[in-house]
Amino acid sequence: MSNPIEVHGLVKTFGSTRALDGLDLVVGAGEVHGFLGPNGSGKSTTIRALLGLLRTDSGTATVHGLDPWADSVQIHRRLAYVPGDVSIWPNLTGGEAIDTLLRMRGLEPDRTDRDALLERFDLDPTKKARTYSKGNRQKVALVAAFASQVELLVLDEPTSGLDPLMERVFNECLHEHKAQGTTVLLSSHILSEVERLADRVTIIRQGRTVETGTLAALRHLRRNHVRAQVTGTLPADLPGVHDLEVVDGAVTCAVDPDGLPGLLRALDDAGVESLTCTPPSLEELFLDAYRN
Amino acid sequence: MPTATDANGTAGLLRLNLRRDRVLLPVWIWLLMAMVAASAFATEGLYLDAADRVAAARLINSSPALVALYGPIVSEQSIGDLAMGKLTVMYAVAVMGLGLVVVRRHTRVEEESGRAELVGATVVGRAAPLRAALVEAGVAAVVIGTLAAAIDVAAGLDPAGSVAFGASWTGAGLVGAATGAVCAQLAASARTAGGLALATFAVWYGLRAAGDIGPDALGWLSPLGWGTRLHAWDGPRWWVLGLYLGLAVVLVVAAHVLRGRRDLGNGMLAERAGPAGGGFGSVAALVWRLNRLATGWWVVAALLSGALFGSVAPHLGSLFDSPAARAALEALGGRGRVEETMLAALLAIMAAMLSAYAVQVTVSGAHEEADERTAEVLAATGSRVRVFTAQAGIAMAGTLLLATAYGVGSAVGYGSQVGGVPHALGRLVPAALAHVPAMWVMAAVALLAWAWWPRATWAGWAALVSFVTLGEVGELLELPGWVVGISPFQHVPAVPVQAVGVGVELALLGTTALLLAAGWWRYRVRDIG
Repeated sequence: MSNPIEVHGLVKTFGSTRALDGLDLVVGAGEVHGFLGPNGSGKSTTIRALLGLLRTDSGTATVHGLDPWADSVQIHRRLAYVPGDVSIWPNLTGGEAIDTLLRMRGLEPDRTDRDALLERFDLDPTKKARTYSKGNRQKVALVAAFASQVELLVLDEPTSGLDPLMERVFNECLHEHKAQGTTVLLSSHILSEVERLADRVTIIRQGRTVETGTLAALRHLRRNHVRAQVTGTLPADLPGVHDLEVVDGAVTCAVDPDGLPGLLRALDDAGVESLTCTPPSLEELFLDAYRN
Repeated sequence: MPTATDANGTAGLLRLNLRRDRVLLPVWIWLLMAMVAASAFATEGLYLDAADRVAAARLINSSPALVALYGPIVSEQSIGDLAMGKLTVMYAVAVMGLGLVVVRRHTRVEEESGRAELVGATVVGRAAPLRAALVEAGVAAVVIGTLAAAIDVAAGLDPAGSVAFGASWTGAGLVGAATGAVCAQLAASARTAGGLALATFAVWYGLRAAGDIGPDALGWLSPLGWGTRLHAWDGPRWWVLGLYLGLAVVLVVAAHVLRGRRDLGNGMLAERAGPAGGGFGSVAALVWRLNRLATGWWVVAALLSGALFGSVAPHLGSLFDSPAARAALEALGGRGRVEETMLAALLAIMAAMLSAYAVQVTVSGAHEEADERTAEVLAATGSRVRVFTAQAGIAMAGTLLLATAYGVGSAVGYGSQVGGVPHALGRLVPAALAHVPAMWVMAAVALLAWAWWPRATWAGWAALVSFVTLGEVGELLELPGWVVGISPFQHVPAVPVQAVGVGVELALLGTTALLLAAGWWRYRVRDIG
């Protein structure tokens, strides 16, 4: 059984710009995969390529083992997509737009949990789309996607414009789908969201993958932050320890994963009284990956 | 009515708008002036003596189709009237259009994009955007009129006539801007506002055409009829200019009153709640729903214009009462035959006009794509073939429907006066349908442009305008047959007077199929969005 999404060495150029420059992305079945990158790094281009809307120049991309360009119809039957900037037909109501998206998928709207979702997202389906705010347009696409009951959700910054209450509803819905085994590709800028929801993340920059793996594995590659109170003194040149500062026995430093055992022994020797060790936040991983 | 503070910030907005229009305005004005200069300087060389001019004027005046399209030549002796005839009526629409575009662009479009909100939150009064837009359009109209008059004088045309002609263009520009201002208050979207204003222009053009070939009074109801009724080249009736100014003032005041009574971003008619569900199970159903309202209006327009021209046909105006004109008409086969000739000529023009529907439908499809909605549809169904066939199907079925509606309308209008409606239906509806393959070629050209260059939405419009222009000027300029033949509309015989050419129709259908195939071949593989 192949992975729901497999992308290797994908290249897409627009004129002289290389929007994707050998991108790799693997999303395993049933996982929520965070897809991170700065503005203009190629996240939406990747997603559009996976949807078969763009033809790529080289590299391979498969969705459920199928070629997005050649087999887009079969692929789309098994996925739902929420764009970052949802545009809906201004002269249709929100309800009509949702039902249209569902029925185009061959679903009978009444037999989905559309109504329950409308209630949860607190969306009035009788209003014309032109009167909707950004957040309400986003809800239309989310309701249509969550009601679709598909194997793969492709979400491109899905919570932009939602209020915190609605963000929570979104998180709940995502958890429920995850529990049912749905695979999710979640492109987002909201790191806390990704940190909470994602099993694995891929960070891209300038069309290329710079980091990929589980959050735990990525964290493992990065320095932990250590604060401690000691009675004695610490040696100044411990291997793998950086930015060491000691003021009145209060120690702060950053430590490489390899240097942690050595640091702990040294702290023990110096008579440690209290100790906190914080793994790097996703934000730090993110900033690190972006800067390099 | 707005107070002084309501207009706060008008000057600043005006500067901003002028900067944004620094290409649009000069290009538009330059194109119009090029037309004026070309006509003013060329006509004298074409008709060296007065007898030539009179003959040319009579030729135009004795053709109902030409009069319907361009208006009559009022003063047969005048070189000015001959030179500016087409510009007085047809290109006056382009002057009106500039007023509409400027006003719509800086009021309704700004509100829709949210930029008006951004600006409105600064120290800018409520009426300022409307006023800045109207000032700009007004100044543009005056510049256009002045330049046009100056060019005519420089070309040696009668000074009084030149000024009167220039003033009629200024008047048309003012009326166009004021109409745009009212429509921008009534409609809740830029698209509807533009459609409403264009529909108004179309009604005016139709009334003017009916007034010029039939009862004169109809022409007075239309600002586009005032240009010839001004008698610019034959002792101008200056008071007619007051009509333009009066109408513009009334419309501007109305727009201000309406603006004071509505909220930013809303029209006068509040949005009603719609169905809570329903939706559309196929791309075709969705595309149809998106074009349903516009299609309805097009059908109404086709029926009404058909009925108007049909009912005017038996009342050929005084223009055709001269012994010479009557002799020419008799030579064509007598009264009934002449009326059918006229209906056939009008039908040929209307076939081209009605195929604008196909261009509009296709262009709106391109907008769907630019706004990313096509991506959402494709993500739900994934089938490009459905999007393409829905778009093509509706463009083509719509033109078929419109041709039928026009045929029915003209049959009812004509048959109710001459020969009975059933007989007229039998003659005129098949005649209208004979134009459908040519209309389909036009639709296929627009679809091809969309399939290849989704961003070049103007390409379809440019093709339509080129085809119409080729048909109109081809004979006058004695262009070679193959150039005129580029326009599909030129190949259709003048049914019902002439017989339907089966070979021609099949060739047009074949061309349509080829163009569609080429469009699909590209749409299948190009990037979306």
